[in-house]
Amino acid sequence: MLKIRIVKRLNPPKYHAFLVPILSVVISLMIMGLFLWARFGKFEKVVEAYREMFSWPFIFDYGLPDTISKMVPLLLAGLGLSVVFKMKIWNIGAEGQLYLGAMATTWGALFLFKNVENSLILIPTLLLMGAIAGALWAFIPGILKAYLKLDEIVATLMLNYIAAHWLNYLIYGPWKDPEGYNFPLTAVFPESSWLPMFGESGIHSGVLIALAMVVLIYFLMYRTRWGFHLKIIGDNQTAARYSGINVEKNIILAMILSGALAGLAGGIQMLGVQHRLQHGFSPGYGYTAIIIAWLARLNPWAMIVVAFLFGGLMVGSEQLQIMMRIPISMVYVLQGIVLFTLLASEMIFNYKIEILIPRNGGEKSWR
Amino acid sequence: MLLELRNIVKKFPGGIVASDHVNFDLREGEVHTLLGENGAGKTTLMNILFGLYRMDEGEIYLQGRRVHITSPAHALSLGIGMVQQHFTLVPSFTVAENIALGLKKYKFKVDFKEVSKRIEEISKLYNLNIDPSAKVWQLSVGERQKVEILKLLYAKAKIMILDEPTAVLTPQEVESLFKAIRMIKESGTGVIFISHKLREVMEISDRVTVLKSGKVVGTLNRDELDPRKLANMMVGRDVVLKVEKKPKEPGKIVLRVSNLHALNDKGLPALKGISFEMREGEIFGIAGVAGNGQRELAEVIYGLRKPADGKIELLGRDITHTSVMARIKMGISYIPQDRNGVATCPNLSVAENLFLKDQQGEFLFNLKDVVRRSLRRIEKYSILTPNPNFPLKLLSGGNIQKVVIAREFENEPKLIIAEHPTRGLDVGSMEFVYRSLLKARDEGKAVLLLAGDLEEIFTISDRVAVIYEGEIMGYVEPDPSNLEKIGLMMAGVRDA
Amino acid sequence: MRKAVFILFLSVLLFLMLIPNPAYAKKLKVAFIYVGPIGDAGWTYAHNQGRLHIEKVFGDQIETTYVESVPEGMEALQVIRSLVKKGYKVVFTTSFGYMDPTLMAAKEFPKAHFFHCSGYKTYKNMTAYFGRMYQPRFLTGIVAGMMTKSNIIGYVAAHPIPEVIRGINAFALGVKLVNPKAVVKVVWTHTWYDPAIEKEAALSLLDAGADVIAQHQDSPAPQQAAQERGAYGIGYNSDMSAFAPKAHLTAPVWNWGVFYEYAIRGILDGTYKHGNYWWGMKEGIVDIAPFGPMVPDNVKKIVNVFKEAIIDGTFDPFEGPIYDQEGKLRVKAGEKLSDEALLSMDWFVDNVEGTIPKGAGE
Repeated sequence: MLKIRIVKRLNPPKYHAFLVPILSVVISLMIMGLFLWARFGKFEKVVEAYREMFSWPFIFDYGLPDTISKMVPLLLAGLGLSVVFKMKIWNIGAEGQLYLGAMATTWGALFLFKNVENSLILIPTLLLMGAIAGALWAFIPGILKAYLKLDEIVATLMLNYIAAHWLNYLIYGPWKDPEGYNFPLTAVFPESSWLPMFGESGIHSGVLIALAMVVLIYFLMYRTRWGFHLKIIGDNQTAARYSGINVEKNIILAMILSGALAGLAGGIQMLGVQHRLQHGFSPGYGYTAIIIAWLARLNPWAMIVVAFLFGGLMVGSEQLQIMMRIPISMVYVLQGIVLFTLLASEMIFNYKIEILIPRNGGEKSWR
Repeated sequence: MLLELRNIVKKFPGGIVASDHVNFDLREGEVHTLLGENGAGKTTLMNILFGLYRMDEGEIYLQGRRVHITSPAHALSLGIGMVQQHFTLVPSFTVAENIALGLKKYKFKVDFKEVSKRIEEISKLYNLNIDPSAKVWQLSVGERQKVEILKLLYAKAKIMILDEPTAVLTPQEVESLFKAIRMIKESGTGVIFISHKLREVMEISDRVTVLKSGKVVGTLNRDELDPRKLANMMVGRDVVLKVEKKPKEPGKIVLRVSNLHALNDKGLPALKGISFEMREGEIFGIAGVAGNGQRELAEVIYGLRKPADGKIELLGRDITHTSVMARIKMGISYIPQDRNGVATCPNLSVAENLFLKDQQGEFLFNLKDVVRRSLRRIEKYSILTPNPNFPLKLLSGGNIQKVVIAREFENEPKLIIAEHPTRGLDVGSMEFVYRSLLKARDEGKAVLLLAGDLEEIFTISDRVAVIYEGEIMGYVEPDPSNLEKIGLMMAGVRDA
Repeated sequence: MRKAVFILFLSVLLFLMLIPNPAYAKKLKVAFIYVGPIGDAGWTYAHNQGRLHIEKVFGDQIETTYVESVPEGMEALQVIRSLVKKGYKVVFTTSFGYMDPTLMAAKEFPKAHFFHCSGYKTYKNMTAYFGRMYQPRFLTGIVAGMMTKSNIIGYVAAHPIPEVIRGINAFALGVKLVNPKAVVKVVWTHTWYDPAIEKEAALSLLDAGADVIAQHQDSPAPQQAAQERGAYGIGYNSDMSAFAPKAHLTAPVWNWGVFYEYAIRGILDGTYKHGNYWWGMKEGIVDIAPFGPMVPDNVKKIVNVFKEAIIDGTFDPFEGPIYDQEGKLRVKAGEKLSDEALLSMDWFVDNVEGTIPKGAGE
């Protein structure tokens, strides 16, 4: 008798961290290709659509600066999430933490330090304010989780809404640009607070900060005892307590770090891209970062690749709209399919199929 | 004969045989107790009967007819009901709503008046005192249990399985539960009572079957019941290991515990004034049936559990209120009973688990360095692993225990707490554990051995105390001639 | 095996990237940036109708495209940049929040033409264009004032900005003209497009006794709410009667195609001059939708009289005397409000119930 069974892969190889995300993107493109094929009726159009999508965002003089400017917040927020996800704390409040970062940076740039003209002092101060605000916003659910066992998913999600409404209050009320014809946006920041650009390229220097954070997070997570402790807590909290690790303190610390990175992302968006606070400064970076962190399987280096690809996907989908007249909802569908296939391929790659054929000498199995 | 289980075999992945050709039967109107320590296979057997697990071999006969039970719903339809250790009630529903939930009779609309009336009748008949309109979350644990029982009575169960029903109850609640059980029994229902508490077993059982390591040790009728005999049956051992033990003069006092009180996870008193001293180079064995406060004692000394009262001194220093980390640094090692749940991180590698508590180079951490250093430990403790990066969970139980022992022993401990260190291990691994503990003793370390296995205690301890319901019953010399005396003390008889 | 798949994938990717883009035809390429989805039945829908209009009028001479749901702010600059780099030399950005990015793009790409809707900044290659929506708003106010029985008219309004405030005031002046006892109650939603919130706001107004619901929102949800409660509604952007046939009295509507045709023709001829274009009913960029069957003839007659007066310039809705909520005389009898005052309007006329959130600078 032939028996087929699905067995969990006990020890998945390391290159999966890179292989799984790339393959799931490929698979989702294939699925999406079917949709597009149905829409256009011609296979050549599908190829053309994908060429638009994949050439433009990565060509230097065209979409590359946009891709990079979208990569930066995704990468930073994703890095922050990887820290808490590692210990199985599900912070889905990166969006709110990013808002807080943007708000604090705005506060500094427009009000607190509006007379500081030295960019070398002003910019680091403003970004630090953003990071601290994000950290505080994550500290709240962190402490509730650690000491009151309040579910962090609910808490962080709720705080996202509070942050969004707080932002609304500020831009409709006290921070509204007095010369803005009553429109809900703040005044433009003084130029001394703008992040320097790399010449005419359109790429702002926030990308360097993001890459520095990759190194920092890698170091913290893989080269310090603290990172090891987070790993232990993530695998078995009881064993962590048994090993003398203060689980509560570390949950809070990790949330703070996570929020600080999201807050920094918000600050960089303000100083590098937007230069003023208004609606729509984040098209859900904090949520997309959840996908980024997962796709990269919490590996900081892989996260650079994934955030870059996702930035490209966002820019590329604009191209799909411009050149192929594909409606935005279709683009959202594509992004949804990517996430779905990611989760599915996580499953598939973590399992293998064994076919058992009983022989005289016993059962033989194939992978 | 109401129920007959024949040659039930259940194997779990990893080669554990939780049920090894078990035979068990139940008559109408009797309480048949399944007695055994944690992990003896009682719950597994009952989960098979209730349709939660599929057995690998064996037959089940219900009133002489062979049945194949496929699910709990199927079991219920056959008249087999089970009150599990974790209740299955919806807290925000009323008693009546909870009971109506499981009824097949009402497909769309429930006649709550009828249900409530029936509940009141049953409640009165069996003296359960349950208000059908009360919300479950308002009820005490004992009352919730009664609701579970009422649920089965409502469904007219012929066989009622009660899995450790007394574990969560206060003594008064136990009394009231036993009253209800007697009424149920008189109505002709067969009750399977699961417990490891000798006193209760003596009180309620008509027959007792003792399980150990998945096998039936024996079945005793009511007139044969004797706590000493039962205790011996529970903890007796087939294989006797002989390990050479050199005589050793104990040194200075390492640990002093005075008047220690603590609560268990359910908030009930688990330690009731424990005091003892331990010296360098001695193995102090604390014998007792599992669940009498051994785990709580170990956790309090190690710092995982806060004592309610009392004092702990290590080498003359009061450590009662220090953290686990501080105690690790002061030289307390702990081999918990639960290897996978407490002592290790299953998904982390062997090397990482070997250095779980390592504080070398406080801030920096280098995995490569850890892997390199782990090689020596893997060799010294002959841990069988393909490589140091292998996930720990894939090792056998014996090898996992070796990893734990290697880590705890290499930590330069002054005191080693070993809680059931050989549970679930094969003979070879057992011997390894004994030799390791003896070696530690010979090196001048103090070893606190908490075990139920008398052979184990006698083989390696220098001194033995017996614990029963959180109290030390007395001290005995580790000599086979004292077996009987220990058996009595384990059954709760003070200093016989 | 898996490595092979991976390498295959990478090479396909590289191949796709290296194929040169097809040469672009010599048509005038026109792009639109929309703030919402084209299916919103409101603002973006109306602009897209304008786009379809010029496609029909100019046929092969032009090629158009659009990008939907583009966030306001600097993200939009990236979209504009890629459009221009793709050869789109005419870009319409159709929401206020695109003003600064459009201006930056205008400075960056001097050879392209930029058109920003509803703002006030212009440049040598950037036009600010808008319509005098307050004119048809005034006319719909007349309809509402004559149709209401409870003398409470609800107004679901998006953002407290001059454009919306102007509309509310014009509407309220229309109401006052025919029904001095009626009041206009305003609820802010702080969103242009969110059917759920818009509906909630409309229901709260209906609960407060309103029997006509007007809106400055991009979805037909307030109209549907009015129909559900048996009240009347006045839509916005385009004829919304299909969504609430029993409630929909009329609506002030956009005909963006009128301006888009003018602009494209000018660019094709080389005669177009950038600047500030604020067209009204005379040019036809704004109008009112056909009346619903429940609107009596006398109402239609009065509206038509004022419509003609507005078109030939003999009447202006913002003619004095106009008093604000505090009773202060804002426009003296016989005077008219200047365009500048209209563009920065931040006060309500006296028959409006509601407040305008004030910024720190005021």
